[in-house]
Amino acid sequence: MAEEQKKRKKRKTATKAAASIGPMVKESITSTIRAREEGKQKIAYTFIVCQHDEILRAMDIVPVWTENYSGICGAKRDAERFLQRAESLGFSRSLCTYALCGLGFDQWREELGEMPPDAPWGGQVRPDFMISSGQILCDPRSKWYQAAQQFMPDVPIYNIDLPYPLFDPKRDHREVWGYYHRYIVKELRGLVSFLEEQTGKKMDYDRLRELVDLGDRTWNLIHETYELRRAVPCPMGTGDAMNTMVPMCFMMGTQEAYDFYLDLNKELKEKIARGEGEVEEEKYRLLWGGGLPAWYALNDFNYFNSKGASFPAETTYRMVVPLYEMDIPETNDPIEHLAWRWLGYWTFWYEKARKRPGSEPDVERLIQYIEDYKIDGVVMHEAFSCRTWHVGLIWQLHQLAKIYKPIPVLVLGKEGKKEKKQRELPSLVLESDIIDITSYSEVDTRNKIDAFIETLESLRRARAA
Amino acid sequence: MEYYAGIDIGSTMTKAVILAEEIVASVIGPTGPEHRRLANKVMEEALRRAGLALESITYIISTGYGRINVPFADKQVTEISCHARGVGSLFPQARTVIDIGGQDSKAITIDANGRPTNFIMNDKCAAGSGRFIEVIADSLGVKLEEMGDISLRSTHPAKISNICTIWAQQEVAARLAEGVPVPDLVAGIHEALADRVARMAKRLKVEKEVVLTGGGAKNKGLLKALSEQLGCEILVPPEPLITGALGAALLGKDIVQKALKSGKRPETKKRTLEEAKLH
Repeated sequence: MAEEQKKRKKRKTATKAAASIGPMVKESITSTIRAREEGKQKIAYTFIVCQHDEILRAMDIVPVWTENYSGICGAKRDAERFLQRAESLGFSRSLCTYALCGLGFDQWREELGEMPPDAPWGGQVRPDFMISSGQILCDPRSKWYQAAQQFMPDVPIYNIDLPYPLFDPKRDHREVWGYYHRYIVKELRGLVSFLEEQTGKKMDYDRLRELVDLGDRTWNLIHETYELRRAVPCPMGTGDAMNTMVPMCFMMGTQEAYDFYLDLNKELKEKIARGEGEVEEEKYRLLWGGGLPAWYALNDFNYFNSKGASFPAETTYRMVVPLYEMDIPETNDPIEHLAWRWLGYWTFWYEKARKRPGSEPDVERLIQYIEDYKIDGVVMHEAFSCRTWHVGLIWQLHQLAKIYKPIPVLVLGKEGKKEKKQRELPSLVLESDIIDITSYSEVDTRNKIDAFIETLESLRRARAA
Repeated sequence: MEYYAGIDIGSTMTKAVILAEEIVASVIGPTGPEHRRLANKVMEEALRRAGLALESITYIISTGYGRINVPFADKQVTEISCHARGVGSLFPQARTVIDIGGQDSKAITIDANGRPTNFIMNDKCAAGSGRFIEVIADSLGVKLEEMGDISLRSTHPAKISNICTIWAQQEVAARLAEGVPVPDLVAGIHEALADRVARMAKRLKVEKEVVLTGGGAKNKGLLKALSEQLGCEILVPPEPLITGALGAALLGKDIVQKALKSGKRPETKKRTLEEAKLH
């Protein structure tokens, strides 16, 4: 493994900001190990995208993002031994491989009473408690820690339930979201009580309010920064965004996260002013239209780049929308606001979807990005172990195909005049997994990428002709 | 006279086509484990059949998974573009190409000019490729080329799992022991493969006319099963194995003609039939 890692070429990033993420993640893992040794702060296993980041920060809890650690093992191509261990414990390989990797790691660490040998970046520390999140998004988020309790029976779990109204084309979600809001507020207040009990400290609501405000400003800043990628050529692609998602998903509610996006914003503006793109000669603009990436194969983004393809936008890990465009009630209560922010995010594309018969919010989001970022083709990744992202991708492509047809269509152009446009949009579905490298073949993947690029090129020539 | 060559090094078979206004020679042979040493031999044979010298070939394109191991090719193009171009030339009305090869299968949507507009490939599992039928033929002691005809004699095709080739093999053995007639088992196997391929193809929008290529197209039982699954007639080229190589040669011709229009000749490699270097 060590030999193989040495031979592997490091992924080339387009931005300095993305290049700075590796050391940042390493430090965040090291800091959890330090916190464990010092014993002054409580450590919590938990999941990203649960709207509780600011609550944890306000209570001085050290979060251990367990999906992140599994992703690190995958990116370092060192997940297999943990996956195999989980499998030997009776967990099926077809379950979420983030969870399997984490469970294999935890069982090994608990059995040894210390970190497994050569644990990536020092390892994942034992938590004081675990905050799971039974939500529509993903079922391992509640089952993973229940399974982990087999090896850590003394570590308590608190589960926050975070639902949101499912899309119904015939009903305005705002008719019912008040019920959801009241329920989520209860869940989050319950979390605060649990944390107060665990830490023996009271929540400082002024501090929480400040952090939530910082979080809101970070959301807006991320949106504005990512919108800069509309520029032609695109200054930063999805390969980099798989790095720059780290402060968004793991450091929300910290000044460090805000400052990171300020720097990124400045860097992108400078690149745009210089006319500097992610690729030297941008020929194709692609949308990463769904699916978590294969963390061990991020070099594939460089391969796309080598063919003149850039990725100005992605739906994966863009877990923010501008607060000022959300139609949510104002409140001075930070917990109530967090609940509204959650509902505002998940229902952001509902209104648009209702206006287009047969559409769905996920499809509207794709359409918006395709139009805003001048997209030529869509790439998706079906990670076999992640049902959450997997389900619906092909259906979404079928819906898109109804709009982006292989025949010239009349669209409203400049000054409201009708123009004939060829709006066809080829798609590529890559297949492997988030961290299970046995599901991946570089040769086959790159063969598919080559064919996709040829398809884009053939369309480009046909349009030019 | 300008001549163009296409070499398609697939996982199971290697194919070469030499083209002028029409096909002047074609060769089909097994790829084998040492395909890196094979491309030059296939080319030699194609040239011999055409009665041509290598120097008389204006442009050579290689395709297929072994395309990088054709050192004398002027350009490498994926099998998606080549199958699309090849089928488009034979059936201008074709809009969907399904290729069932030895180790993978693919579906391609094409436009009226034989250009690919979208595609999908199954390369993860033998259960979606010709290998599925090969393995079962071997288990039953039946010749591969007889499988199609045997399946047409079935009256009650058996239900066989298409999740995994090895499981299917075990299932066939068990059903055989239960007394299920061989034609019903063979028909069941064809239906299982057709189901898997059809599900893949339906992930794209399957539009008529549908053309089947690759070794799978030579199997009447599979053709029937796939036609039923897709609910439409399926067209088959006169020699379904060479559409990729034909498309490669045609794409070479397109490149040359485009270059000539602009008053230039395209850049080509030195014409020597060397072996690929083994790393």
